[in-house]
Amino acid sequence: QKTVTGTITDEQGEGIPGVTVLIKNTSIGSASDIDGRYSISIPDGSNVLVFSFIGYNSQERAVDNQSVIDVVLLEDITNLTEMVVTGYAVQEKRDITGSVSQIKSEQLMEMPVATVENQLQGRLSGVNVTSSGQPGAPSTVRIRGFSSFQANEPLYVVDGVQTTDISSLNPNDVESISVLKDAGAASIYGSRASNGVILVTTKKGRKGELQISYNAFYGVQNPGQGFNNLLDTQGMADLQWLVFENGTSNTENHPLYGTWNRGGSGPRIPDYILPAGAMEGDPGTDPSLYNFDPDNYSNINQIVRANQVGTNWFREVTRNAPIQNHDISLAGGGEKSRFLVGLNYFNQDGIVIESFNRRYSARLNSEFEISNRVRIGQNLQVSYRENRGLVAGNQAEGNAIAQGFRMQPIVPVRDIMGNFAGTRAPSTGNGSNPVARQGRSRFNQDLNTRILGNIYVEADLTDNLSFRSSAGGTYTNGYFYNFTNRTYENGQNVEANSFTEGAMFMSDWTFTNTLTYSKTFDKHRITAVAGYESLKFDIGRTVSGNRGDYFSEDPDFRTLDNGAQIINASSNALTPTTGISYFLRSDYAYNDKYLLSFTVRRDGSSRFRDQFGTFPSVTGAWRLSEEGFLLNSGFLSDLKVRGGYGVMGNQQSLSPINQFFLFGGSPNTSFYDISGSNTSSVQGFRPFRIGNPDARWERAVNANVGIDASFFEDRLILVLDWYRRENLDLLYNPPLPGLAGGADVPFLNVGRMLNTGIDAELTYRNNFRNGLRFETNITLTTFRNEILNLADGVNEFFAGDSRIGNISINRVGNPMSAFFGYQVEGIFQSQEEVNSAPTQAFAAPGRFRFADVNGDGVIGPDDRVVLGSPIPDFTAGINLSLGYQNWDFSTFLFASVGNDIYNFTKWYTDFWPSFQGAKSIDLLQNSWTPENPGATTPMAENVSNFSTNAQSSSYYVEDGSFLRVRQMQVGYTFPGHALERLKLSRLRLYVQGTNLFTITGYSGLDPELIGGDTAFGIDYGNYPNVRQFLVGLNVGF
Amino acid sequence: DDFLRVNPIGTLDENVLRNVAGAEKLLIGVYSNLDGTSQNVTSWNSASSNWIYGSIAGGEANKGSDAGDNALVAQVQTFSMDAANDIFNGKWRIVYDGIARTNTLINLLNTIEGEDEATILRIRSQAVTLRGHYHFEAKRLWGNVPYLNEDTEGYYVPNDQDIWPLIEADLRFGYENLPESMGEVGRVNKWVAGAMLAKALIYQQKFQEAKPIVEAIINNGVNPMGVKYALIDNFSDNFDIEHNNSAESVFAWQYSANDGSGGWNAGYGEILNFPYGGPGSCCGFFQPSQEFVNSFRVDSNGLPMLDGSYNSPENAVKSDDGLASTDPFDLDNGPLDPRLDWTVGRRGIPFFDWGLHPGRDWIRDQNYGGPYTPKKQLYKKSQEGLFTEVGQWTTGLTANNYNYIRFAEVILWAAEIEIELGNLDLARDYINMIRERAKNSEYVTYEDGSAAANYQVDVYPPGHIAFSSQIEARKALYFERKLELGLEGHRFFDLVRWGVANEYLNDFINYESQIRTQAYQGAAFNPGTNNVYPIPLFQIDISRGTLQQNPGY
Repeated sequence: QKTVTGTITDEQGEGIPGVTVLIKNTSIGSASDIDGRYSISIPDGSNVLVFSFIGYNSQERAVDNQSVIDVVLLEDITNLTEMVVTGYAVQEKRDITGSVSQIKSEQLMEMPVATVENQLQGRLSGVNVTSSGQPGAPSTVRIRGFSSFQANEPLYVVDGVQTTDISSLNPNDVESISVLKDAGAASIYGSRASNGVILVTTKKGRKGELQISYNAFYGVQNPGQGFNNLLDTQGMADLQWLVFENGTSNTENHPLYGTWNRGGSGPRIPDYILPAGAMEGDPGTDPSLYNFDPDNYSNINQIVRANQVGTNWFREVTRNAPIQNHDISLAGGGEKSRFLVGLNYFNQDGIVIESFNRRYSARLNSEFEISNRVRIGQNLQVSYRENRGLVAGNQAEGNAIAQGFRMQPIVPVRDIMGNFAGTRAPSTGNGSNPVARQGRSRFNQDLNTRILGNIYVEADLTDNLSFRSSAGGTYTNGYFYNFTNRTYENGQNVEANSFTEGAMFMSDWTFTNTLTYSKTFDKHRITAVAGYESLKFDIGRTVSGNRGDYFSEDPDFRTLDNGAQIINASSNALTPTTGISYFLRSDYAYNDKYLLSFTVRRDGSSRFRDQFGTFPSVTGAWRLSEEGFLLNSGFLSDLKVRGGYGVMGNQQSLSPINQFFLFGGSPNTSFYDISGSNTSSVQGFRPFRIGNPDARWERAVNANVGIDASFFEDRLILVLDWYRRENLDLLYNPPLPGLAGGADVPFLNVGRMLNTGIDAELTYRNNFRNGLRFETNITLTTFRNEILNLADGVNEFFAGDSRIGNISINRVGNPMSAFFGYQVEGIFQSQEEVNSAPTQAFAAPGRFRFADVNGDGVIGPDDRVVLGSPIPDFTAGINLSLGYQNWDFSTFLFASVGNDIYNFTKWYTDFWPSFQGAKSIDLLQNSWTPENPGATTPMAENVSNFSTNAQSSSYYVEDGSFLRVRQMQVGYTFPGHALERLKLSRLRLYVQGTNLFTITGYSGLDPELIGGDTAFGIDYGNYPNVRQFLVGLNVGF
Repeated sequence: DDFLRVNPIGTLDENVLRNVAGAEKLLIGVYSNLDGTSQNVTSWNSASSNWIYGSIAGGEANKGSDAGDNALVAQVQTFSMDAANDIFNGKWRIVYDGIARTNTLINLLNTIEGEDEATILRIRSQAVTLRGHYHFEAKRLWGNVPYLNEDTEGYYVPNDQDIWPLIEADLRFGYENLPESMGEVGRVNKWVAGAMLAKALIYQQKFQEAKPIVEAIINNGVNPMGVKYALIDNFSDNFDIEHNNSAESVFAWQYSANDGSGGWNAGYGEILNFPYGGPGSCCGFFQPSQEFVNSFRVDSNGLPMLDGSYNSPENAVKSDDGLASTDPFDLDNGPLDPRLDWTVGRRGIPFFDWGLHPGRDWIRDQNYGGPYTPKKQLYKKSQEGLFTEVGQWTTGLTANNYNYIRFAEVILWAAEIEIELGNLDLARDYINMIRERAKNSEYVTYEDGSAAANYQVDVYPPGHIAFSSQIEARKALYFERKLELGLEGHRFFDLVRWGVANEYLNDFINYESQIRTQAYQGAAFNPGTNNVYPIPLFQIDISRGTLQQNPGY
C-alpha cells in the first residue's frame, strides 16, 4: 500500500475541484480539493487510477512506481446529445433524418460583420451567401441553388415567427441557426419552404447568478489599391494620339493636348484644363478672372489646373474607415423566471466617403413558470438603423466606384479656389466627380426601425402531451430624405435641385398553435407534432414626395413645402397575403436503429384562386453502427444513412394580384395634357394587368440521401448529402406579342428546373494531452442547375441590361443567368483575313473576329452563344482553430471555384469610344496594331460598331474563381488568478484580420459580386469587400 | 373562407369603369401614348417625333453624341439595322399598346348602356381616329403590319394584308363623325381626323381623293377650340413653348412639364437631343448634318439651289468643324434661308436668350458628330424651370409640343397635290405662301437688332423655271418640305413615298461620309430592303408564326 498525490488541472492549468479519483475495478475512491489536489491510498495489487469529472473526458493512469501523478483533464467535446432546432421541434442531432445544418453562436461571432446572413458565408454546406462591401447592404442567401425565376429567398423563422428579413438582428443575440435544406426537413413549412428555411433561435437567460458580459471590437477597413490597370495623365494623352494615328484624318485639334499631325510630335500635357489646354502664363488663367457665383451656375468661370501626374479617383473617394461594435448583455434567472437583456451598438463607416451603417438594438427575452406545467414567455428585439450608401446605388455606372474608372486622371478633385472640378473641361468625358457627388449626400438620411418578437405559452397537458401557442410578428418603419444639389463642375449638370422625402411601413404576423406528443415504450419512441397556423404578411404602404427648385441649398431649409415645383407625390400599397395552415409531423424510432419521419402541411393562401395545397414528405434513417457487424468496430462511433422524399412549395414567387384583370393609371404611363396647359396633365387609365386566375404554387420535388458518420469517439465527423430537386410549375410570364398591349402579362405555371448537388461537412477535433486543442471544419457546396422548360415556344429569356444590351440569358438546357453574346475568335489581322472570313458587319483589321457558330457564312444574332456561367463548380469553407493553454487562433478560408465573371467595366476602360473616361493600360500598351498582332485588346480607335464595342462578347468574360482568407484571429484568455484580481469571470483579448488576402485571376476589384438571380456575376462597378484589421475583447463580470 | 380573400389594393377593375366617366379616363390613356413613350412600355428610342426614324434616317441629322453612346441608333443612320436591334421592339410595342388601349376602350364602350348616343359617339370617334393614327405609324415604319380592331380575337394576327383601306376607314370614321369643337385643344376633332386622312391618302398617292379634304381643311378647318387654321406670322413661334397650340398647330403631342410624371409627359423622347453642356445640358444627340445645313444656302434671289449645287465647295456653309470655342472663327457670310438659324444651332449665332452658340463647348464629340446642334425642340433660358422639368438629371424634358401636323404642311400637301394633278401655278402659289411667311418672319438677330447672318429668302416669281415642269416642280416641293419641316421627323418617310430614297439617301451618304467619316463609315441605303424597318425579331419569335419579316432583313 502506498499513497499517491497530485494536482488535477484543466487545459489552462487551473485546478479542478471535485474530480472523482477511483481505483479501477474497486469502489475505493477520493476527490480533489478546491485547488484540484488529491491524495489516495492504493492497496497492493491495484495499479490503475481513473479520474473522472462531468464535462471532461475520463482518464486512466497506471501508478507503477510513481508517488505523484499530475493530471490534465480535457474537456469532453463530443456532441452526442447536441440538440438541433428543426421545424416546430427540437431534436437530438443523432435522430435527424432530413438534411439540416446547424451553427452555433460562437462560430458565427468569429466574423465581425453587421448581419447574421453575412456571417453564414461558407459556414454551412449547401448555403451560398454573397455580399458586397457596402455597409448595411443586404446579402444574397441561396440554399442549394435556385428554385424559381422569381423568388429564391429562403424563409426565415425567428423564434417561431416567419419573416423574410433578418438583417436587423444583432448577431450577438443569436443562440443558433439551423438551415433546413431538403423536403424532409423543410416541407413542414409547406408553401414557403422550397427555397429552404433558416431557423434562428435567440439567446435565453439561464437559471443561476446574474451573468453580465461585454463584447467589443474596433477596427479599420482599408480600401486597398483600387483599379491598377488605368492610365495616368501622360498615358491618356498618348492613347489619344494613338487613336488619332489609327483614324483616317491627318490632323486633329485636341482641346487639351494641342494639335496632332500624322507623324508629328507627341501630345502636350497642358497646365490647365479650364481654360481648356491653357499653359502657365495664359491670360485666361489669371486668378482674378475666376468667378464662382453659387446663385447662378451658368455665370461662373472656373479655372482648373490639370493634374499632370494623374488623379487616382478611387483613392480620392475612399478612406480608411473605422468599424466598431459594442454589446452588453445581462442574463440570469431564478426558480420561476429567466431573462436576458441585450444592448448593441454597431457602427461601420464605408470605405467610400459618406457611406455608413449604424445600428442600435435592444433585446429582451424572458420566460416565467406559472405553475409546474405552464410557462409563458416572450422574445423581443427593437432595432434602429441609419444607413447611407452609394449615391446612384451599387452595381451602377453612376456610383462612386464606377466613377473611379469613368473620370479621367487629368481632372483634379478641385479647382484653383477649392471648388469642385469635373468634366466641365472639354474632352474629359461624362463622368461626374465622385468626391463631389458623395460629399453632397452628407445630409441625406435613411432610417429604419424594426420590432420583431413574439409571446408564447407552453403547457404540459400530461407527461406526454404538451401544448404551445405563439403569436408574433414584425413591424418595420422606414424613413428617408435626400437632396439632389445643382452641379456646376460636370459636362452634363443638374440644373435644378430637388428633394425627396418618404416613409414606409411593413408588417406581418404569425399565430401558431402546436400539440406535441412524445412517448417511449419498450424499444419504440414516438414524437408527434400537430399544428394550426394562420398568418398575414406584406401588410404595408409607402409614401414619398419629391419637389424641386429650392431657393436655397442650406440643409436646414430642406422640407417638402419649401420646393417651388412639385415633381412627384405618390403612395403605394402592398396587397397583403393571408394564409391558413394545418400540419403534422411524426417521428418514430425503433431501438434507436430505425428512424422514420413523416410530415405533411396543408396550406391555404389568398394568393391563389384555388387556395389549398398539400406538401408531404417522408424520411427514414438506419443506424448501421448499432448493427452487430459494426457494433464493436473501434474507430466508428456512429454511422447513419438517411434518405427522404417530399414536396415543398413556393408562393413568394407569385404576386397576390396575378389572378386579377386590373386597370390603373399614373402620370408616367397614362396621363395626358389634353387641355394644352403645358404644366399639368389629366388623369387617364390603361389596362394594367392581364390576370391569370389559375396560377398555383411552384412545387419542388426533392429526394435526398445522406450519411452521418463519426469516428474516433466523435473526433471526426462527416455529414454528406446528395440531392435531386426538380422544380415544377415554375411561374414564368411568357411575353405576349406587342399586339396584346403594354399591360403586365400574367404568370403561368409553366417552367421546370433541376438542381442536383452534393453538400459535405467534415469536422475533426481533438484535444491533445499537451494542452493543444485543434478543430477544423470543412464545408463543401456544389450544385448543378439546369432550366428544363420555360413555356410553349419560349426557349429563353434575357436579363442583365447594359450599354450593349442584355448580358445574361436564361435558356432551356443551361443554368440560370448564363452569359450570352458572340464568341471572340481573335482579332482580324489583315484585310485579306476579313475578306476570307464569314461576312461580319464593319469587320476590319484590328477589330474582333466573331465565331460563325451556325456556319452560315454570316455573323448574325444566331451566332450568339452561351459564354460562361457565374455558378461555381463548388464553394468551400475551411475553418481552422487551434488553442494552446490560454492562446487561441482561428482562421476561415472561403473558396469559390469555376465561376465566370462578366467584367462589364472593361467596356468603359478597354474601348476608346465607350465614353471618354479613364482608359486601361492595355488599351495603350497592348492593343492591336499591325506591329502588335498578338494583342488581345482590339485596336484603339474612335469607332463604335458591331465589330468593336457594340455587342456582348466573350471579351468581357473572365474566370472568377477565388480563395479568400475571410478572417484570421489570435486571442488570449486571461487565467483565473489574474481574473480574480480584476474581479472578472472572463477576459479575452484578440486581434483579427478580415479578407486578409484573396487569390484570384479576376482583374476587377473584387470577384464577389452581388446581383439578381437571373443576371448575376456581372461587374458594373461593385462596392468591394476589403481588408480590415481589428482588436476586440470579451469580458464577463 | 373570408380570411383568405384579399382584394388587390390601389387598382381598379373593369366594372368600376363601365360608364362614360370611366371611358373618358381610358380615352386619355389612349392619347397619352401619342408621344411614343410610356414608362411601362418603352423609352426615348420610340419617340414618335421620329427624330430617329424620320430625321436621322432621312439624312437631316446624325445620331450625334460620341461614337459609343447608343450605338443601336447608329444602325439607322448607316442603314445597317438588324431585326434584333431592341429600339424597333420598343417602337413596335408602344404603337400596338396604343391600339390595344383603344380597342379595350371601344369594347368597354360597347357595354355601356343607357347613355346618350352622341356622348358615346364622341368618345368612340376619337378612339377610332387614334386607332387609325397608330396603325398609320406602324404602316409607314414597317410596311407589312397587322391590323386590330375591337373584334379581333387574340394577339396572333398575321401581317399578310395591305391595311391601308382599314386605316383609311378608321380615319374617315373620325372625319365624318367628330365635331369641330372639342373643348380641349389636345383632342382630335373633325379637321384633325381629316388631316390624318389626307396624309394617309397622299402616302398612297391618292391625290385626287385627298384634294377636296385638304382644300376643306385650308378653307374651313378649325382647331378643337374653334380657332381657324392659319400660317402664323412668325415661323419661329411654331417652336416656342409659349406659342404652343397656335393657329398653325393642326395636331401636336401635348407636352407638359412638372406635372408629376417625372418628365414622362415632357417630351421624354427628346431627352437626349440637347446640346451637351449647353441648354438642357445633355446629351448631344441629333446633330444636324452638313448636307442639311448646306440646303439652306440660297441664290442671290433668295431661292434654294434645286440643282444640288448647294453642296459644292463654294456653296457649302462654312462651319467651325475642327475648331475649339476659343479658336477664332468667322461666320459664313453667304446668303442663307433665315429658317436655318431657327432650325439648327451653329457657332456664333444667337441661341435664343442663351447668348451666342459657342460651338464646340456645346458639342460632345465634334470629330464624331459635327459642329451643329438641333434647335426646334429647344427652349429659352427664361423658360427653364417653368416649362422644363426640375429635379431630374436633365432639364431636357420640356413642355415644348411636337408638331405632328403643322398647317404649313397642309399647305405643302396642297402644293404636292396640285403638282401631281398638273396644276403647277397653283402649286407655286401654295409654296410661295410658305416662303412669303418665311420672308416676313423675324430673323435671328444680335442684341443690337442686326441680322445674325446674311438672310435671304423670297418667293418663286411667276414663270420661274422651278415650275416649268412637273419634274422640276417636284424638286421644288421636295426642297421646300426639307427647309420648312426639317428635323421634324418627316424626311425619311417623304423620300420613301416619293420613290427617291435610293437616289437622295445614297447621294447624301456619299457627301456626308466625306466629312463625318466615322459616323457614316460603311453606310449605304439598300432600296430593296431599307424602305421599311425590320419587324422586331423578338416579335416574330413569339408570334407563333403569324408575323413574316420584311424582305432583306
